[in-house]
Amino acid sequence: MRKSIRRGATLALASVAAISLAACSTNGSSGSGGDSVKSIKVVIAEYSPDNTAKFWKAFAKTYEETTKVKLDLQIISWNDIDQQSSTMVQTNNLPDILNLNTYASYAADGLLYSGDEVLPKDTAEDIIPAFVNSGTYKGKFYGMPDLSSARALFYNKDLFSQAGIAKPPTTWDEFRDDAKKVTALGNGAVGYAQPLGPEEAQGELAMWLFNNGGTFKKDGKWTLDSPENVKTLEFMKGLSVTDGVTQNNPGSTNRTDGAFPLFEQGKAGMIVGFGPLQGALDKDFTGVNYGIAPMPSGNKADPQTYGVTDYLMAFKKKGNQDAVKQFYKLYYSPDQINTWIKAEGFLPVTQSGLKSFESEDKLKVYLDTLPNIHLTPTDDPEWDKVKLTIQQNIGLAVAPDGDPAKFLKDLQAQAEAGK
Amino acid sequence: MARVLTDAPSGTRLAPARAPKPSIGGRASGPAPSSRRGRRRGANEASGWQALLWLSPALLLIAAIVIYPAITLFSTSFSEYSITGIRKGDAGFANYAGFLSSPDLPKVVLNTGIWVVAVVAITILIGLALAQFLSKDFWGRRVVRWAVIVPWAAALVITSQLFRLLFDYYHGTINAVLLALHVIPKPIDFLGNPPLLMASMILVGVYVSLPFTAYLFVAGLSAIPTDVYEAARIDGASPWQIYTTITLPLLRPAMLIAVVLNMIYVFNSFPIIWIMNGSNPGFGNDTLITYMYKIAFKSAQHDVGVAAAAGVFNVIVILIAVIVYVRLTRTRAENPS
Amino acid sequence: MTSTSVQSPSQASRRTAPLSAGSTLRRRRRSPRAVLLTVAGFIVAFVFASPYLVMLLDALRPSGEVLATPPRLLPKVWTLDAFVDVVSDPVFRGWLSTSLIVSVTSTVLVMLVAIPAAYFTARFRFRGRGLFLMLIIVTQMFAPTSLVVGIYREFYDWGLVNTYTSLILTDAAFNIAFALWILQGFFAAIPAEVEEAAVLDGAGRMRTLLQVMLPLTLPGVVTAITFTFIATWNEYVVALTLMQDESKKPLTVGISSYVTAYQQNWSDLFAASLIAIVPVVILFALIEKHLVGGLTAGAVK
Repeated sequence: MRKSIRRGATLALASVAAISLAACSTNGSSGSGGDSVKSIKVVIAEYSPDNTAKFWKAFAKTYEETTKVKLDLQIISWNDIDQQSSTMVQTNNLPDILNLNTYASYAADGLLYSGDEVLPKDTAEDIIPAFVNSGTYKGKFYGMPDLSSARALFYNKDLFSQAGIAKPPTTWDEFRDDAKKVTALGNGAVGYAQPLGPEEAQGELAMWLFNNGGTFKKDGKWTLDSPENVKTLEFMKGLSVTDGVTQNNPGSTNRTDGAFPLFEQGKAGMIVGFGPLQGALDKDFTGVNYGIAPMPSGNKADPQTYGVTDYLMAFKKKGNQDAVKQFYKLYYSPDQINTWIKAEGFLPVTQSGLKSFESEDKLKVYLDTLPNIHLTPTDDPEWDKVKLTIQQNIGLAVAPDGDPAKFLKDLQAQAEAGK
Repeated sequence: MARVLTDAPSGTRLAPARAPKPSIGGRASGPAPSSRRGRRRGANEASGWQALLWLSPALLLIAAIVIYPAITLFSTSFSEYSITGIRKGDAGFANYAGFLSSPDLPKVVLNTGIWVVAVVAITILIGLALAQFLSKDFWGRRVVRWAVIVPWAAALVITSQLFRLLFDYYHGTINAVLLALHVIPKPIDFLGNPPLLMASMILVGVYVSLPFTAYLFVAGLSAIPTDVYEAARIDGASPWQIYTTITLPLLRPAMLIAVVLNMIYVFNSFPIIWIMNGSNPGFGNDTLITYMYKIAFKSAQHDVGVAAAAGVFNVIVILIAVIVYVRLTRTRAENPS
Repeated sequence: MTSTSVQSPSQASRRTAPLSAGSTLRRRRRSPRAVLLTVAGFIVAFVFASPYLVMLLDALRPSGEVLATPPRLLPKVWTLDAFVDVVSDPVFRGWLSTSLIVSVTSTVLVMLVAIPAAYFTARFRFRGRGLFLMLIIVTQMFAPTSLVVGIYREFYDWGLVNTYTSLILTDAAFNIAFALWILQGFFAAIPAEVEEAAVLDGAGRMRTLLQVMLPLTLPGVVTAITFTFIATWNEYVVALTLMQDESKKPLTVGISSYVTAYQQNWSDLFAASLIAIVPVVILFALIEKHLVGGLTAGAVK
């Protein structure tokens, strides 16, 4: 038996070797073929089934017509894009353009073109400075923003009037009182829908943290466990554990199938929302009479707005620089970028975009804040890991037996150790 | 090791000594009973070259599509990677050390054990009963058989998504029904409370594994010759005695296939845990498979090298589990007392 | 073949199959027990189908109603919009045809590869047989997620990423094991005399396999086809990684895009999922008899 195993193994190995050889012989085809590429691969994250594919297919057609370069489009859901992009990098089959919510790690690995290399000058100047800042790693602009969103406090006007609340809260104390009043209405009413599950918890944290004078990182130093931040997270925990004004188990609630539906069904008094939620409310949940207000403040300062931007980064590959440049030129032309952003219900990232969106009353509440928006420190590769820890663990920190201070202290230690 | 495994599917060695007839697996493998061996000896020997000719299509396909990527996995597990997936160099055993020393691992291993043992054991038990039932003749049986197949025919991702909605605290149908029947005063947090979550996941795991398992047993049952039963009945055996002394032993080959395959499939099952546990923080509800995925893409480690080490670890774990199971059943089969 | 007094496995299984002459007699009696069994049967059927009935009800209401709090079992507004949306979408039809092409072709490929191997391992003893069978079962132990990088690298090097071929080859390779396992049992169950008679008549090995052995194992082949078809129909991870074009994705990958982080079309998702189940259930309904006969025959002398 043993002998036959060895024999079989040799056989198996031989066939593997043959296959590997075959594989090697066709290797090295990427990026070759003359001075400039004949096609580029563009990997896009799917924002919505209705609009993403539609826009990018039309975009690809226009791009191909103007540049005579083929655009291979791949649309991947947000759920799978981390795995898919990692697979592409591991197998050295890099896309030319990748749409993702992070870029600094890719820049740190030396995979990306900087803006100087691929952005037409007037395009670079058109991008809102706050986004240029957040897209700049070690002095170079790598993280070209594709679109942005800003968060604001959504409140249910009907629940507010039933609870006898005249106007949206401006301070955290008012916020808590209002949430209590709405919860007291009973019949399944929830004062505040608080999503702190792993999907996007860093967004919820950021929103509250910025409105209590806190930051993630300041002057090049991590400030995750600052006293303000500890107070903020303790307040957030208190909402569910002490005050009981949130939905059940906020640490295990995601936005899309947890918190948002509560607001969309008219069960939640308040929630931190953004454009796409507004879009859904106006389209499918017209029964919900809602208002949008700036976030209440924890430190008597003016409300601060937290914003998010995703990126379209360009990978350095032989002969693709010109094609990539053409891509950005077309993408940032107002009738392309603004069309898409409007369709998806997001916010512009360019000055010209701001102007073109000015007429949209619905967006005014966000647009005014956009130039001064607070973003997470996406320009630090370490953030990519800090973010993941927040997503995975904040739910434990706000559980009844959780320890916010310790969570933030560990987070700080993790961030500093990464240096 | 090879013997244990390869005899497993063919079943002959595991067939009970006094009831050699039914065997879902092949007859020709392993040391066959002497009478059969004598009858077939002439045709049974073949040279390695002949074998290669007949097996080469299967071998080629498996070598290309399974073995080559397995080697890739292995080499990945010994390499150091950046967060984006760039290979930085050799890692030696650092990925394995990193994986084995992670503080969440004991809990994850425990979860995996509970998950696999519970799903497989319950599936087998209900599967046996269900198979018994589906083998009975009654009006409408075909329709029942089609209905039983549906969870198998549906994509696992979608079934998991469906159950996540059914179990939901606020908009789940299960809570709504229990509330309406006044069984419970307030909704149950099936998905947010770890023990309840595990129970819910096991329920779904059993539900989707049952069709395959039950049909394997239906086949095994209808393979048992009716005269065996009649003889037992004439001897005055009770139905339970008949079941335990005739049916179960004769089902052993089907049982082996059902257990081994279910062990592998349940161990490697990803969507149920990934989706139903999707909104919970931390790693306290993960099994080895979802934990591996989180190491690669969702945890602060974000390291495909460590995840590959986890992948190799997982294969070793399931391999050992299968070998242990097969050895245990074989010992029992050889010493029926 | 007819000259031998050997019963074919399918005949044998029919003889011992529960739907036999004796049972017809029992049915005519309509005893309370039979009624009870039917009632129990429909309870079992209900238990297995009920989650999907909820799914159907969700597909028949507007997407916004799916996550209603508190939930309503029956839709407030009944609508076929989701089904119309899905069926009229050319991209969905693309997914459907990808799934059909890939599943059918890889199932055929599995049969072409597994039948000779199963026949040979069932009939012959040879060096490396043990290793071969071990290799087969070990292929099942790797989680697809851990192999997908290697698979992608390989197909990328061969220039086959984003082709049906890549998916077909992968699906086939991962499903050889079950088919081989089942078929091996069937071949082994055919008494050697049947084959020897054919060989004496001067037929070659391959002709014996095709003309004598295969018809006898037809139920086994049908069984293996069903299992393989379902497995390939539901494959997700590899297809997700290998297929890039929107319209070339299979159903499993495609339909998950109905619900994204920013927009949720629950009723479309469920309508599409139900449509995706239908071909499998129809296939199943058509061959259910054979399937059971099939699994049985391998074990019947």
